[in-house]
Amino acid sequence: MNPGLHAVAASLDVSDRITPQKVHGSLYTDPEVFEAELHRIFHLGWSFVGHESEVPGVGDWVSRRIGRDPVLLVRTREGEVTVLANRCAHRGVQLCAGGSGTNGSFSCMFHGWTYSLSGELRGVPQPIGQHTDASALALDRPRAVDSYRGFVFANPSGTAGSLHDHLGAGGRELIDWAADLSPVGELDLTAGWLGQRSPSNWKMWAESDNDGYHLGRLHASLWRVAPGTQYESAVLAGEDRVVSTCRDRGKGHIELEFWKGYDKELAWLGAGREKVADYVDALVAARGLERAEELLWKGPPHALIFPNLFLGEMNLAIIEPLSAGDTVHHHTPLLLAGVSPEFNTRVLRQSEAAMGPGGFLLPDDATASERMQVAFSGTGGWMDLSRGLGREVLEGTDRVGHVSDETVNRGFWRHYGVVMAP
Amino acid sequence: MSTTPDLATGPLDRLDPPALDAGVAAFLYREARLADESRYDEWLALWTDDAHYWVPSGTGDYDRDRRISFINDNRNRLTTRIRQLQTGVRYAQTPPSPMRRVVSNIELLSVTGDEVEVGSNFVLYELSLQATNELRIWAGRSTHLLRRRDGQLAMARKVVELVNASQPLPNLAFLL
Repeated sequence: MNPGLHAVAASLDVSDRITPQKVHGSLYTDPEVFEAELHRIFHLGWSFVGHESEVPGVGDWVSRRIGRDPVLLVRTREGEVTVLANRCAHRGVQLCAGGSGTNGSFSCMFHGWTYSLSGELRGVPQPIGQHTDASALALDRPRAVDSYRGFVFANPSGTAGSLHDHLGAGGRELIDWAADLSPVGELDLTAGWLGQRSPSNWKMWAESDNDGYHLGRLHASLWRVAPGTQYESAVLAGEDRVVSTCRDRGKGHIELEFWKGYDKELAWLGAGREKVADYVDALVAARGLERAEELLWKGPPHALIFPNLFLGEMNLAIIEPLSAGDTVHHHTPLLLAGVSPEFNTRVLRQSEAAMGPGGFLLPDDATASERMQVAFSGTGGWMDLSRGLGREVLEGTDRVGHVSDETVNRGFWRHYGVVMAP
Repeated sequence: MSTTPDLATGPLDRLDPPALDAGVAAFLYREARLADESRYDEWLALWTDDAHYWVPSGTGDYDRDRRISFINDNRNRLTTRIRQLQTGVRYAQTPPSPMRRVVSNIELLSVTGDEVEVGSNFVLYELSLQATNELRIWAGRSTHLLRRRDGQLAMARKVVELVNASQPLPNLAFLL
């Protein structure tokens, strides 16, 4: 980080913009806040980079960002998955263009410095004049990279403690739950990613992805023309009839528990047992009857793993911050290993219906976020996030509210306040 | 007595080429205008029952059952798309974006008795009035499969390969 930005990041205090019930809109629009977030959240903390199934073979890579820094998620020659700066150690040229590929090594287009798949400098053209010892040069990398159930996270500073603690029991349970939907316990994220670009702040997406209050209103156009979805009983049936809840699992990990309001098994898949009998049998064989029946009812989690990973039911999304007022929401269908191609095609079709810039849901979320960005772009103003304060309850260390309550927003911002403290 | 085949009755591959060219171009221009003006019912009426409306991610050379697409509508889903737009509360298109597109470089790719496959390029200006008032520019190639139905051309397939289809895109809730 450059010295000017570092000074901003080190000194900015946003604590007067967050109260237990209100948050100031300048946190979405202030460029200094954004720079501080890159440092305190994405540099000093853990964030999600990608999934091991995206790079199945040696030399496979996908292009990602940690905060704004371009990185590569790579499968090394030893078969490990690592994260490398996508930036030559010589003059800083981006090594790989495009979203994904397979390489035997990484060679810079500018002067030809060449790196191994694990980032060591292997070759420098015209080596007689090379002054710095080539063995001392390598691609930068996050000081800490770790994975859980194939989900790869990075902490560039290496100072955030363990991934285990960052996820906590709550985060690990959510990831286990998603992976356990596969009879072999593995995801297969091979359907590609779509990006929704939106001139709005990244935190709006973390919040709107996990906002149970807006569904009936903002997305009314879909429910009118596509009746019979699982969301009718789970969230649309009326405040006093809906039994679904939202859950603040701590550490900024927040969840909507739609499954409590489903009216039948496999509602989340839109198919009865007879249509996916092979899947049901395989899941029962793998997980035992009790856990399998639980999963068949609940389906996938709907949750944010702070700060940038959205477990969006049968989608997985990455929230990529570009600037205070610009975000990409990337998503891929949550394809499962160990199921039939037809099962995964069904998941793919559902994903196309809901998600992305051409989907039936996400463009409306983008519009709402973009209008928030417009409305806060001047002097800002406060947001009221008090909904449900009087009725949320503690379950262990989790706070649980009605699915429409802002318990989850408060959980997000409470953790944000902790990690943003100078 | 012999009659000259025409667009309404004759086999398309027996038509006088200029007549076919003119008929195809007229269809594409009309389709473009209906989309530009968000005339949803009239646009939907151009489609056959086996409609396939596809906006691939990248170029359209992959297995749609294995890789995700921006839009991949059969007739049923396309109808849902139009009905959603017609609710008046599809906020991503409320109000509808004013649009104008230019369709050009029309080439007939293949012609059979009842069908013609046609490629064309487009440039589309869209004013995103819903939040940002930003003028957005879209460009790409369309490949239509047109089929004669009740003496007129209808479209059975439209594949829109956007120039920037490999990149994140802003809202695509209007008709391409």
